[in-house]
Amino acid sequence: MRIVVAVKQVGALGDEVEFTDDERDVAPEYLEFALNEWDSYATEEALRIRERLGEGEVVVVTAGDEEAEQALRRCLAMGADRATRVWSDALAGADPITVARALAAPVRVEEPDLVLAGVQSSDSIQSATGTALAELLELPRVAVVTKVDYDHAARRATVHRELEGGLVDVVEVATPALLTIQTGINEPRYATLRAIKQAEQKEIQVVDPDDLGEPPDRVRRMFVPPRGEGAEMLDGSPAEIAQRIAEIVRESLKA
Amino acid sequence: MARDPKHDILFEPIQIGPKTMKNRFYQIPHCNGFGSERPYSQAHFRAMKAEGGYGACVTEYCSIHPESDDTHRVSARLWDDEDIKNLSLMCDMVHEHGALVGAELWYGGPHAPCMESRCTPRAPSQIPSDFEYLTYPKAMDKDDIREVQGFYVEAAKRARIAGFDIVYVYGSHSYLPQQFLTPYYNKRTDEYGGSLENRARFWRETIEQVKGAVGDDCAIAVRMSTDMFIGEPGTQLERDCLPFVELVDHLVDVWDVNVSGISEWGEDAMPSRFYPSGHRLAWQAAVKAVSKKPVLGVGRWNSPDLMVDAIKSGKLDIIATCRPSIADPFLPQKIDEGRLDDIRECIGINLCISRWEIGGPPLVCAQNATAGEEYRRGWHPERFDQAENWDNDVLVVGAGPAGMECAMVLGKRGMRRVHLVEAQDDMGGHMRWVPQLPGLGEWARIVNYRKIQIDKLPNVEFIPSKRLTAQDAKEYGAEIVIIATGSYWATDGLNGASHDTIPGADASLPYCLTPEQIMVEGEDVPGERVIIFDNDGYFMGVSLAEKLAMEGKKVTMMTPMGHFMPYMHFTLEAPNMHRRLHSLGVEMVTYQLPTRIEQGRVVASHVYDTEGKEHEWECDAVVLVSARLSDEALYRELKDVIGMDALRAEGIKGLYRIGECVAPMLLSEVVFDGHRLAREIDSENPEVPKPFIRERRVVEREFALA
Repeated sequence: MRIVVAVKQVGALGDEVEFTDDERDVAPEYLEFALNEWDSYATEEALRIRERLGEGEVVVVTAGDEEAEQALRRCLAMGADRATRVWSDALAGADPITVARALAAPVRVEEPDLVLAGVQSSDSIQSATGTALAELLELPRVAVVTKVDYDHAARRATVHRELEGGLVDVVEVATPALLTIQTGINEPRYATLRAIKQAEQKEIQVVDPDDLGEPPDRVRRMFVPPRGEGAEMLDGSPAEIAQRIAEIVRESLKA
Repeated sequence: MARDPKHDILFEPIQIGPKTMKNRFYQIPHCNGFGSERPYSQAHFRAMKAEGGYGACVTEYCSIHPESDDTHRVSARLWDDEDIKNLSLMCDMVHEHGALVGAELWYGGPHAPCMESRCTPRAPSQIPSDFEYLTYPKAMDKDDIREVQGFYVEAAKRARIAGFDIVYVYGSHSYLPQQFLTPYYNKRTDEYGGSLENRARFWRETIEQVKGAVGDDCAIAVRMSTDMFIGEPGTQLERDCLPFVELVDHLVDVWDVNVSGISEWGEDAMPSRFYPSGHRLAWQAAVKAVSKKPVLGVGRWNSPDLMVDAIKSGKLDIIATCRPSIADPFLPQKIDEGRLDDIRECIGINLCISRWEIGGPPLVCAQNATAGEEYRRGWHPERFDQAENWDNDVLVVGAGPAGMECAMVLGKRGMRRVHLVEAQDDMGGHMRWVPQLPGLGEWARIVNYRKIQIDKLPNVEFIPSKRLTAQDAKEYGAEIVIIATGSYWATDGLNGASHDTIPGADASLPYCLTPEQIMVEGEDVPGERVIIFDNDGYFMGVSLAEKLAMEGKKVTMMTPMGHFMPYMHFTLEAPNMHRRLHSLGVEMVTYQLPTRIEQGRVVASHVYDTEGKEHEWECDAVVLVSARLSDEALYRELKDVIGMDALRAEGIKGLYRIGECVAPMLLSEVVFDGHRLAREIDSENPEVPKPFIRERRVVEREFALA
């Protein structure tokens, strides 16, 4: 049994933001990097399936430069068995389809029984990489999964999908399949210092991507949107501002 | 980051007499336990605030003559030329940062007991002090008045030589000029008593003489109490103070406006339990309305928005801070740089003040472990050297105040990885629930500040909801293990009065409860009549009494001590707490030690009883606030059961414990203990505090030190 988890090292914004000279991304010195939150849940779910079955292997894969190994090492410290990083300079700032193209070959070679990915990444929030990867691997795909009941012998899984308004969609899917995992599905474990140290010693396999093709889209410009006209800035002392807020609320209640 | 333009006004210079202050941040006179006889500690302490951006820093009360000797408490002194030398160090060090420096010239009258100088203090009338036991002054005749005014002038000249820019004629907290102004102290029938003009005469003449002596070079500041809150005999704003301002405004360069007399000066140094920031603005604004000179005033200002509002609304010209400048000497700089979430806000717990009230030990601060340690331990509140053993991983078990502080400082010292592991689902330890007691909400800032800092430190990871066993801790993979598991309230009535438990006290019974059972576990307090046994003497017993009384219980407090909440007299919380409990109908029983607790009653005997007499108090529930015990189970198992050899075999080089896991202590000491270990984690033996510099006179002799 083998589960592959596709993960991403994401950048979180601090208090201040500056963009790169080409205005296509946030300058890296203004970002703090970490494993994408959704991916920590996906990794945990994979580990729990492996532990339930009492056998198998969890392999984490990412598309990213050397810095992104930090995310892989976090997954290894949690208990993943192996890690693969796919990278070429053409992947810098790549769109989700291109990232999925890069991930497809190293995932396929593992012949996985399940592929897990986070629903989305917290930085670019496109919710596209997992779906695109399923398409490229020609796997069935279930999105926004909040529960996984995997029957390895029957080669199928019963999964819960989160819908609007608290509704749950129960889906049976033949495996291999790709599931995008929602936060809250489990409680990701913390890695002990020992596990972190051991993960540092593990070798990470680095591979070149296959032909990435033409990127379907690219970022042209990233900027702080100008302040809209809907906002009214209130000036004055806290008491004056509170007074004005109370008036606005009263007026809008009347309207 | 940059300053928010809405705070710009705080950084506008202002003229004070002959001096220009660079901004509106003023460190009000306040004690620190250093005086002029620990000159290096004094200078480094004040200069830290100047470095942090304060535009002016002032001494604590600075005695002008041996007749104003507050021993056992510690004041600065300008008694002779040697004192000039000592205080000049503070002047020089504050000046290096471009700040003004002030001396608060002080004559205490009967409130200064002169226990070192053995002088007799003088006062307008011979009435014993309402603050100090058995201290009577000599009533001043006119020669005395001229002589004491001469003391002020001589001290002012010494202050100028030392390098002070601002010289006070200090007349609040019931000290001499306020005594003359106030009928409560001044019963004279000559031209120094009676009418306002007469009661003001001593102070007016003194200001004139001081200004005449040093006014060309130094700004003249007057600190004035504008209300004693005792009605007719006390100092009153409209009757006494506003006319006084009109009378002497032309002589004064800056007004420092506060309230209170000495015996209830918690009305000035407001505990957060009772007063919000800016609670005396109305009094300060009233002076500002009649004065043409700049007005400054305290108000436990932590928030730059409230500071700006106080200035823009025309109530103050200068923001004076005492406790916020102790909690964060870099408050101005952090506002200037727009780093508001880095501000260590004062929590108003008044442990700083408690040290002065106790009589002399250096101040402490619950928020800022480095307060008072600038010189003697060389600690800087914002600068942290990289630890020599930075390439070690640290496990801190327990995210209460000690664990949080320790993990934060270890993070700032660049340890490779720090894991702060906590059994509960969030940080705070007992400070998660203590701030839920009535009035203590601001104490939660202890947690909030550290949480924000820890979140910013990439090398510190917080791990909630994980209760580690000794085996877990051993195998965790850290080279340094620090246990900070705190303490808990005794469940069996163990107390420091009898040094024993109380028969029948057992918190597993439904009618016996500990503070945690009420506050954390939410256990029901059965029935209507509750007895709180309090041998702790600080905030827990009375706070629970307030809470339960507010919930409709009939509360009786019982203690073997002679009075309740002795430590809250030191924090200035006791008077209003007594008023609060009295108004809630809480009964207070002193000198009674329970001999046994049964369902429905507490049996107790008077602590001085010699005849075996007992009394019974009927009740439905008993709350045990008797003593705390360290939660040292994890530490003991690691050290005694697993043992250091086995730990070393796992790669653990050091096992330490901090805070209440060592022994129950005040919040300031909990934070200090966590900070101290982190500061000295790379010392030869981190378990033992490194020696600190003691400012003392050492006899010149030579010994062969074997």
